[in-house]
Amino acid sequence: MGNFFSFTHILAFVERDLRKFMRNPLSILSNVLLPIVYLLVIGNSFQGTLKKLPLGVVNQDQGPFSKKVLNRLNALESGPNTIHLSLYSDAKDAENAVREGGLKGAVMIPPHFSKDVSRGTMPEIGLILDNTDAVSAAALEQAIGEAFSYLHVDTISIRPDREQPQLRLLELYRKLDYDASIVPGAVVMAIFMGTMTTGAFNLVMDRFLGVHESYLSTPLTKGELVLGILISGVLVTTLVALVVLGAGVLLTGLQVAGGLSSFLAALLIIILTATGLLSMMCIFLARVDHPRIVGLFGGFLNIIFFFPSGAVYPVESFPDWLHAFSRINPESYAVHALKTILFKGMSWPALKEDLLFLSGFMILMMLISTRIYKRTL
Amino acid sequence: MEKITPASAVSVQNLVKQYGNLSAVDHMSFDVSAGTCFGSLGPNGAGKTTLIRILSGLIKPSSGQAWVKGIDISKYPEIVRRHIGVVSQAMTTDLDLTGRENLDIYARYFNTEKKMRTRRIVELLERIGLTDRADDLVATYSGGMRRRLEIARGLIHRPSILFLDEPTIGLDPQSRRVVWELLQEFRQDEELTIFLTTHYMDEADILCEQIAIIDHGKVVVLDTPEGLKKNIPGENIIDVTIEHKKEILSTENQTELPHIDMLTSKLSGFTFVQDVSQKKLETRSSLIALQIYVTNGVASIPVLMNQFQTWGYQVHTIGLKQASLEDVFIHYTGKSIRKEEGQKVNFFIGAGVPRKMG
Repeated sequence: MGNFFSFTHILAFVERDLRKFMRNPLSILSNVLLPIVYLLVIGNSFQGTLKKLPLGVVNQDQGPFSKKVLNRLNALESGPNTIHLSLYSDAKDAENAVREGGLKGAVMIPPHFSKDVSRGTMPEIGLILDNTDAVSAAALEQAIGEAFSYLHVDTISIRPDREQPQLRLLELYRKLDYDASIVPGAVVMAIFMGTMTTGAFNLVMDRFLGVHESYLSTPLTKGELVLGILISGVLVTTLVALVVLGAGVLLTGLQVAGGLSSFLAALLIIILTATGLLSMMCIFLARVDHPRIVGLFGGFLNIIFFFPSGAVYPVESFPDWLHAFSRINPESYAVHALKTILFKGMSWPALKEDLLFLSGFMILMMLISTRIYKRTL
Repeated sequence: MEKITPASAVSVQNLVKQYGNLSAVDHMSFDVSAGTCFGSLGPNGAGKTTLIRILSGLIKPSSGQAWVKGIDISKYPEIVRRHIGVVSQAMTTDLDLTGRENLDIYARYFNTEKKMRTRRIVELLERIGLTDRADDLVATYSGGMRRRLEIARGLIHRPSILFLDEPTIGLDPQSRRVVWELLQEFRQDEELTIFLTTHYMDEADILCEQIAIIDHGKVVVLDTPEGLKKNIPGENIIDVTIEHKKEILSTENQTELPHIDMLTSKLSGFTFVQDVSQKKLETRSSLIALQIYVTNGVASIPVLMNQFQTWGYQVHTIGLKQASLEDVFIHYTGKSIRKEEGQKVNFFIGAGVPRKMG
């Protein structure tokens, strides 16, 4: 045990892995492209607030208040662009259009609507919703509800109502588009992809091809082998994650807060996360000798770790069991840390918990992976 | 690091490797003298690969002891690995690296100093005839080229013992011969002890000074190739295929087959006949194939031809040969070495790469 670590041995092993990886450009390309495609597709399909929801309007009233309703709906269409209006003369046609999926909803203004508003006798507007699309239905209900309040108020006072509490909005940070907000998620996905295609995956391929026999019959120690696998994996994964970060910034126009210190802090988080996840993969795949298992396992783990990480949706809104999992999910801490660094700028107090968790996770995983690595066949 | 016998490069005592109920290595004991070539000969599944893997520290024995260069392999596998070179049965060079890179990286695992390493790589590439292909990816090599590279890699750090597991399996006859020549050259020039496993009789015959015939995890017999051949009865073997004339006349009538025991007993009456065994034939049931071990083959043939004629047999084919290791193997194990076992397939993930247990 005199020479537990020999740098010559470790560097030779790292060089072997890196040379092999560099000669597989397809593997590099998939590692970089998948998170970028994810960023483009998810970022542009979700977009945070919903837009252009098709809404039908059937106006059976010719009075002034129905015109007011139409004006407000038009304002909703041309302003925040929440809805896209289509006028219908027949209520049945509009309902059918909702049923057939052409409309997300239809507003029905009944014949005596204006009179009922003037008399104050419970005026009603019908809203038919396709409630199988819960997200669109809720958005329409909220937007239309807000648009129809205070229809009887004709003028707006220029003096503020001193009895009514005023809400003053103070945004602490620069406004962020939804696609830019998922850049940290894309970087964490790149780290995960890297850990699946380097490190432990190389081990599995070596076992599958029988190549491991060659280095197991040399004086390389268990510690040198595990370190060699981790170092080569971390180098490749970090590089891939930085490329994805750069591409994410360019594609979404994200303005990164802070300068060099932010970059160094992001680099630290990427390295800690990559080392922890690579070690974890070495544990999970410690006895696997077929790449097919890695493929199945990778897809499964990606869902388990990525979606409860807060990369696409706030973890606070999860049900209790999923929220509890997100508390022990290393990707949650990585996403949180990267969001803090990239959107808010370097702040050690804000990063303290993330750094502690990721460092602890990394050390624990490294110890276990070295312990269970099988030095024999 | 207790030494057993200074002259022994490898020493094995009561070695056992158990996989569940299967004894892959079953109480083996033998010594390999330094500077010699030792062959472990047996069919697939006999336990040869398990033995070589134990001796190179790749798997742990269930019980018993083994010393390589006098070092206990169970206690000090990492020290043993510094002194040995291993050429596995599967091709284990990295396909995505060049030949030179494979050698260079492997040499660094043994802390070979850069200057020495570079010189040794050039020398070995020259000797294995791959200098002009040294900077090509191994993926572009033929099987024979890759095997030569693996032998060079096993020798890159100048080990004193080289373990080779089926070194010519899957190679064409010409490539096999090249590998044999290389091994003989290296052994001479580098004072190497070679320990190889094979199921090729000719390979063991040409390369080895000592051969252990292994079957079902046990050493059945251990001797020099000449000694082994001498142990079988007779110097020559006559292979003969005969048919009773009565059978030829009425092939429809299969009931009165010649009595083989009577025939064997009659043949044993001759002083030059040492032993008789019957070989199984699958083509025609009326044909009988015999192996007759005789002391003087050339003189025996006309006598036997006449005798078969007298007994009412027609001789279809007759041939004379020197006793080979194949005959030795059949003599000791009662079966041909070419009989191979099937490979196991994982139910969940399919075939993949067949794993070898024996």
